[in-house]
Amino acid sequence: MTEAFSKPFFEDLEVGASLPIVELGPMDRFDYIPIALILRDTNPLHLDRVYAQERGLSDVVQQGPLNQAYLYRYFTSWLHDPWDLVATKMRFAANVFPDDVLQCGGEIVELSEAPGGGGLVSCAVWQRNQDGQIILKGEASGRMPGR
Amino acid sequence: MREGRFQPDGSGSLRVADGGLQLDIDRRTLIGRTLRSATYTVTEVDVSDFLGVVDEPEFAATRNKSGSSEVTASTPDAVRLAPPSFAPFVAVLGLLKTFDWQDDFLFDYRTGTAMFGEQSIEFHRPLRVEESVAIAASISDVYEKQGKSLFDVIEVKFEITGSAEGDRLMSGQQSYILFK
Repeated sequence: MTEAFSKPFFEDLEVGASLPIVELGPMDRFDYIPIALILRDTNPLHLDRVYAQERGLSDVVQQGPLNQAYLYRYFTSWLHDPWDLVATKMRFAANVFPDDVLQCGGEIVELSEAPGGGGLVSCAVWQRNQDGQIILKGEASGRMPGR
Repeated sequence: MREGRFQPDGSGSLRVADGGLQLDIDRRTLIGRTLRSATYTVTEVDVSDFLGVVDEPEFAATRNKSGSSEVTASTPDAVRLAPPSFAPFVAVLGLLKTFDWQDDFLFDYRTGTAMFGEQSIEFHRPLRVEESVAIAASISDVYEKQGKSLFDVIEVKFEITGSAEGDRLMSGQQSYILFK
């Protein structure tokens, strides 16, 4: 699940332009074990299929912060330096399940030039599953250098 | 219908309706509550485990102390950075240490259903591997919403600083959805 973006410069950007769409997956249920350990969250909803099915779900649910991490990685891979990230705002809309294939995308909504060159780019970003259902929706902004 | 208070601060009531017990809790009394401060260490193990799942092939992890330029590991002020994709984990984990579901949110986690709502973060500087961070948080708003079912939204404002230098790392807001 790796992707390489061509890095744009601030002068190349236009409001309304789309970011490249990237596909990730299929999601792997065995990834939920290290994520549960990192989050110190052993909720069986993420790990025990029978428990999840008893609660009306089709399978275990991928942890929300992992969904976010994929969308963060998507957006920050587009920046020249991942730590040029300035701000994010994300809302959970639906669950991700094992074997789902995710798509991440976005659109430039605002550009503001910086005095020393380059500027700030703000984007609407989203993540959806193979059925087109929105998983995460939000905004992300970052610094983009000039040429 | 019989009613009676059940929270020590008078924030809820117990109602007998339609032959069953129903708890009405007014969580708006929680607005302004300062949550306990907490610390979290961004460990090498956590970041390595994370990178084993969410690989970051282009991420140059070794930087100077400010994080502004890539350096070799032998450079005197070299630090290892965690990728920004790890930030939501720090916010979620750090915040979970700042409150008790029952005492601070008037919510029984064993029987109720809760989920994360919206999260917004402003980044002030990169996260360093093996650094300890301090989390300060407070309940900024509480409101009720009707979706497929009725739920309360608790909004928590937070600030995460480096424990050693006290400088701002991240600040933002996290909401929690508590189904009624």
